[in-house]
Amino acid sequence: MSDATHSAPHKPTSRSLHAVDARTKRRNASESRFKAMGIGAIGIGIAFLVLLLSTIVMNGSSAFQQTFINVPVYLDPAKIDKKGNRDLADLKKATTFTYAPLIQNGLLDVVKKAGIETDLSKAKELKNLISASAASQVRDRVLADPSLIGQTIDFKILASSRVDGYLKGRVKRADIAQDKNISVAQLDLTDALREAGVIHKGFNSAFIFGADASDSRAEQAGIGVSMLGSFYMMLVVLALALPIGVAASIYLEEFAAKNRFTDLIEVNISNLAAVPSIVFGILGLSVFIQFAHLPQSAPLVGGLVLTLMTLPTIIISTRAALKAVPPSIRDAALGVGASKMQSVFHHVLPLAMPGILTGTIIGLAQALGETAPLLLIGMVGYVATNTPDGFVDGFVSPNSAMPAQIYEWAKRADPAFYERAWGGIIILLVFLLSMNIIAIILRRKFERRW
Amino acid sequence: MNDMTLTERAVNATDNKITARNVQVYYGESHAIKDVDVDILDKTVTAFIGPSGCGKSTFLRCLNRMNDTIDICRVQGEILLDSEDIYDRRVDPVQLRAKVGMVFQKPNPFPKSIYDNVAYGPKIHGLTRNRTELDEVVEASLRKAALWNEVKDRLTAPGTGLSGGQQQRLCIARAIATSPEVLLMDEPCSALDPIATAQVEELIDELRTNFSVVIVTHSMQQAARVSQKTAFFHLGNLVEYDDTDKIFTNPTDPRTESYITGRIG
Repeated sequence: MSDATHSAPHKPTSRSLHAVDARTKRRNASESRFKAMGIGAIGIGIAFLVLLLSTIVMNGSSAFQQTFINVPVYLDPAKIDKKGNRDLADLKKATTFTYAPLIQNGLLDVVKKAGIETDLSKAKELKNLISASAASQVRDRVLADPSLIGQTIDFKILASSRVDGYLKGRVKRADIAQDKNISVAQLDLTDALREAGVIHKGFNSAFIFGADASDSRAEQAGIGVSMLGSFYMMLVVLALALPIGVAASIYLEEFAAKNRFTDLIEVNISNLAAVPSIVFGILGLSVFIQFAHLPQSAPLVGGLVLTLMTLPTIIISTRAALKAVPPSIRDAALGVGASKMQSVFHHVLPLAMPGILTGTIIGLAQALGETAPLLLIGMVGYVATNTPDGFVDGFVSPNSAMPAQIYEWAKRADPAFYERAWGGIIILLVFLLSMNIIAIILRRKFERRW
Repeated sequence: MNDMTLTERAVNATDNKITARNVQVYYGESHAIKDVDVDILDKTVTAFIGPSGCGKSTFLRCLNRMNDTIDICRVQGEILLDSEDIYDRRVDPVQLRAKVGMVFQKPNPFPKSIYDNVAYGPKIHGLTRNRTELDEVVEASLRKAALWNEVKDRLTAPGTGLSGGQQQRLCIARAIATSPEVLLMDEPCSALDPIATAQVEELIDELRTNFSVVIVTHSMQQAARVSQKTAFFHLGNLVEYDDTDKIFTNPTDPRTESYITGRIG
C-alpha cells in the first residue's frame, strides 16, 4: 500500500542487470578502496620486515667470518723454559709476554721467506697484525703438551680486529691516520700476506661457541657463553613457569568457584601480563638478590625473574586452551562416572595440550629475548668470559644472556663489536624463529581432533 | 503393532527404581522445577516430554547429579535410588554416575579410539581385572549397543570418525559398559537422521530388558514408540505422569491434551 504512494514519482522499473546503478557502483568503489588500503598496509609491513631482515643480515653476516693468520712458531726453549726442566710449574711462569715475540718472529720469518718487500723490518712492528689472543692460544697449547718446546709448530692464529676489519671493508685506509693500532705499512703488508695466502678469512665458529672477550680483543669475542646463560635461564623458566602456570590455570578454569575473589585474581593476572618487564627486574633484585641473597648475575636469578614475567602469558594461553575444549567432553567424562580430576587429566588436558605448549613456547621465546629485567640483576654488563664448570655451576655462576650480550657489544667503542652485535641478533632471531616454528608445528599437528 | 508389543512387555515392570518426592530446582533466583513427584520403574522406558524450557532436561540431570557441575544450581527435595537418597552428604556423585549412566543430546565420543571410548568407564571404576575381561566388556557393550558388527574390525579407529548415528550408539555403549542400573538419555536422537533414529530407538527398546531407561524427547511419536510410561512437564511442573498409552489416548489434564494435539508447545 504505502509502497504504491511513495514510489509513485519514480515507478520501480525493471532495470537491466547489465547496467550497474550508481548506488552499487559507490558500494563497489568503497569496497575496492578498502581492499587497496588493506593490501597497502600489508605491503608496508612486508617492506619493513624485508628492510629489517636485510639490514640485520648485511650488518651481521660478517661476524660469522673471521680473519686468521697461518704462522709457524718456533717454541724457543731459551725463552719459554729457561731452567730447561720442562716442569709445568716453571712453564706456567712464562706469561703471554714471553710468547708474543715468538709469534711476531714467526710471522717475520714468513714475510721474509715470501720475499715481500716492506719497511717493517722488526718483529715488534708486526704486533698490530696479530690478535692479543694469539699469545695465550700458543701458551695454552704448550702447557697442554710441553714436549712441543724446541719445535716449530704451525699455528692458525687470529688476526687483530683492525686487520679483520680491513679485510671486511670496515677499516679503510683513509680513516687510519689517527689510529694507533694500525699503520699504512701494516695494511700494505696485510695485502701482500693475503695474496700469499698467509692471511685468510674463514668460518668463525668461535663466534657461535666462544666466550666474550675484553675490549682489546674484539676479534676473539663470541656469544657461546651467554648462549649457555640463556639456556640455563630457559631451563629455570620451563621448569617453574610451565607447571605453576598450568596448575594455576587448571585450578582457576576447572575447579575454582566463580566469585569476586577469583574475578580479582583473573583481573590481576591480566594486569600482570601488561606490567613492564623492568618492574619484574627490580622485584627480582629486591627479592631474590637483596632479600634471599642469591648470587648476582646468576642465570638462576634471571630465570626466576623471567618466570615471573612469563607466568601470566602461560596462564592466559592455557586458560584459553582449556576454555576451547568443548564442554560436551567434560559432560561425557562425568557422565561415565569420572571424577572432576579424572575428566580434566584424562580428557580436557590432552585436548588442550597443543594450545598450552604453543603458549608456553611463545612465553619462552618472549623471555629469551628479554633484556630489561636482566639489567637490574647484573646480567647486562657482565663480561661472560668463562664457561661454567658443570651443570649446577651453570645456574649459579655469573653469566650473561644473549640479548644482554648483544646490548653489551652494541655499547662498546670498537666497531668490531658492533658487527658482532648484529651477528648476535641473527643468532637470537634464529632461536626465536625456530621456537615459533615448533609452536606452529605443534599446533598444526594436534589441532582440533574432536 | 508396535503398541501391542509394548503393552505386552510393560507388565513385568513394577518395582520402583527411582523415587522423587517434592523436588525443587533453582537456577539462582529462578525456580526451574516445582514440586515434582515421580516414580520411575525398573526395566521400563520412561519418557519425559514437554515444550522447550519446561525443565525436563533439568530434572533428568538431577537424577545423576550432573547439575552439580552448574554453580548456581540448587536442588531441594528427595530423590531416592533404590531407597537411598542420592543427595545425601555421604553420596559421592562419581559412584552415583557409575550406577546412573547418561547419554547426551549431541553425540560426544572422546577423541580416542572406539575401544578406549568404551573401555574408559570400566577402567576408571576398576570393573575388570585384566585385558581379557576388558575386551569382553567392550565387546559385550558394543554388541548391546548394536554397534559391534559395524566396528569390530576397526576398534582402534577414532570414535569421532564414525557417522552421527554410530557415534550416538558408541556413546550408549560407553554408558552401558559400566553396567549402570539406570540409563538417562537427553534427547539422544535430536542430532540424528531418521534411519539412525530408528536404530537408536530399537536399541532403547532392547536395553529395557537390563536397565531402567529415562529418555527426554521432543518427539511425541518417539515417546509413544519407545516408552511405557510418559511424564509431561510444563513450566517446571510435572503435569501428568501415567502409562504412555493413557497419556497419548486419554490424558487427564487439559494441558497434556493441548500439548499432544499441538496446541501448546
